[in-house]
Amino acid sequence: MTSEENQPSSRTLELTDDFVPGESNFIKVDDFKFYYGEKRVLHGITLEIPSRKVTAFIGPSGCGKSTLLRNFNRMNELIPGIRHEGDITIHGTSIFDPSVEIIALRRRIGMVFQKSNPFPMSIYENIVYPLRITGERNKALFDETVERCLRSAALWDEVKDRLHDSALGLSGGQMQRLCIARAVASRPEILLMDEPCSALDPIATAKVEELIMELKKDFTIVIVTHNMQQASRVSDLTAFFYLGNLIEMGDTRSIFTNPAKKQTEEYITGRFG
Amino acid sequence: MHQEPARPHTLTTFTSALNQLRGDLLTMSSLAQRNLRNSLRGLMERDDAWCNDVIAEDEEIDMLEMQIDREGIEVMSRFQPVASDLREVVASIKIGANVERVADQAVNIARRARKINEHPEIPEIHLLDEPARLALSMLDDAVRAFAERNAPLAVELKARDKELDRMNRELADKMVNRMQDDSANLPIYLNLILISRCLERIGDHAANMAEDVVFAVMAEDIRHLGK
Repeated sequence: MTSEENQPSSRTLELTDDFVPGESNFIKVDDFKFYYGEKRVLHGITLEIPSRKVTAFIGPSGCGKSTLLRNFNRMNELIPGIRHEGDITIHGTSIFDPSVEIIALRRRIGMVFQKSNPFPMSIYENIVYPLRITGERNKALFDETVERCLRSAALWDEVKDRLHDSALGLSGGQMQRLCIARAVASRPEILLMDEPCSALDPIATAKVEELIMELKKDFTIVIVTHNMQQASRVSDLTAFFYLGNLIEMGDTRSIFTNPAKKQTEEYITGRFG
Repeated sequence: MHQEPARPHTLTTFTSALNQLRGDLLTMSSLAQRNLRNSLRGLMERDDAWCNDVIAEDEEIDMLEMQIDREGIEVMSRFQPVASDLREVVASIKIGANVERVADQAVNIARRARKINEHPEIPEIHLLDEPARLALSMLDDAVRAFAERNAPLAVELKARDKELDRMNRELADKMVNRMQDDSANLPIYLNLILISRCLERIGDHAANMAEDVVFAVMAEDIRHLGK
């Protein structure tokens, strides 16, 4: 993707205008607390996520890692009774600022889920859907986007001759890569991945991991995973959460060879619970 | 500061596999310690029977080295250890290789001792008393440091290696002088030099083992410092 291609159209939350590759605090979480009703599930998380790197969130189920991830694109707001304290900024702008349009925010932040969720339409239509809903009708742009996104998701060669077949006929691994292709169609800066490989076989997992390594050249990626080896293979930084607290965050190599905190050591070595 | 053994893994077979690896390395180490002692006993007591035992038992140590390598690789492939577990497995394989070389040096000492024992006793043999004591103590402490996960002991041990090197050089100088004065016993002096060299090598292996213990316990690489 060229820098020219990266220029956003007019949106409320402009992230790319003075986008700095390698920016160390691209996403900044500041004393962030999150509540489901009366129950507080995140207890004052503070961390910084650099741009164009892969940051892995690890921790046992219920530790709050997915909750934090889903705050980055304010997906949690679909749940009644939630509230937060503290702030999350992306490139210096609070995502909770009243001027931020939530739809525009989500367009800047692609998301891939544990279970692939292709729409019941053709491969081609899955990719162009994010453009269609913005009112785009340019067929040439659609064609260009489909090829670009499928190539960037390493799926083009496998599906280029059946773009108009139903996406539901793809294998599980292909469906997940199609969802990644769809997620990058709106040219987001950030890709959130919530257990993207947990339903995939090892070969499909390897393809998605290879894709993650490729995509980080253009995107800031945050991945939630229960697979320790996956976190150590694909991420540059790793954050370990436990019971709603950030226990330790650092360079992945250090976390997996010599973690600073005993709780991290016990979790990654399988001495937990 | 000793590091307490970590709590067991949720997956008990993982803990068992690590314990098996550790246990086999300690068994191998104790055999090497015994062989070194016996080779020196064969030399000092002029008794070839001890020397023959050392040579015969080396094969068992070789087998254990290969077993430790297999077990280490199996732990890595089955359980994908990380952090302290990974360091322990890597250190165990490397320590196993050093212990095997210590055992080889014990065999060399036993062979040289048998040659020396063919000749009448000479007092110069006791020039080996101090280097032998030091090499043995270094090996014992390296094994103890591993067994107890005792990094300070391992660090301290490394300093003694220089002393052993100095003793080896001094002994070689003395032997060269004696060779000139007493050429009739030249084969004995030559073998004493070679045994001293074996002891010096054992000190090096003990120091290497100590470095691996520090890596396993503290995640610090103290090799090649100050060179």
